[in-house]
Amino acid sequence: MDIRQSLAAAAYAQPRLAPAAAQPEGGGNLFTQAITNFADTVAQGEAQARAAMTTGVDPHSLVTALAQTELAVETAVTIRDRVVEAYQEILRMPV
Amino acid sequence: MTDFSNALSVAASGMRAQAQRLTHVSENIANADTPGYHRKITSFEVERAMGAPDGAVRPGPVRLDQTTLPMIFDPSHPMADEAGTYEGSNVDLVIELADAREAQRSYEANLRIFDQIRQMSSSLNELLRR
Repeated sequence: MDIRQSLAAAAYAQPRLAPAAAQPEGGGNLFTQAITNFADTVAQGEAQARAAMTTGVDPHSLVTALAQTELAVETAVTIRDRVVEAYQEILRMPV
Repeated sequence: MTDFSNALSVAASGMRAQAQRLTHVSENIANADTPGYHRKITSFEVERAMGAPDGAVRPGPVRLDQTTLPMIFDPSHPMADEAGTYEGSNVDLVIELADAREAQRSYEANLRIFDQIRQMSSSLNELLRR
């Protein structure tokens, strides 16, 4: 009886643990990918700006790169604000 | 965000192509009095380079206007033949000015689109911020 109970508990715990462990992994991957994209966009914008100042690169590419960087930074800042806001909301929860 | 990003690239490619066209127009105007000069015609084609977004435009190969060059009568000109004439350029300033105006209008249209894309993305972020 005791053994069967522990076996059943182990059997229940196993599938419950697996998705719980897998889900943050997938979300973390997506998040990492988004951050990498963001970093790439910003780096490209900086490279274009540097090239425009040092060598006479096409100003259209500079404007495009800066607009895309602005878009990416704005999005990242907005998401960060939302995350911080959610965190503070949790902190304010009466325990 | 990739849609906005692609649209920005396409609008920038349009602006780049129109700038190239304006370069050729200014070359034509500068050479309006050059003997034997054929005016340059800018063509446009769809960008097929790797990494470029679908639908971007790029200036195609430059073609020369093959209409016959006018014979200008000026016996004192160094290039004049026995009849006292030499080949001028086939640049028509009215056509060049019209072409330049067209390039300007097209450039402005692309610029407006560029600005509109930025405004749209800003309003989307504004919605996210609330």
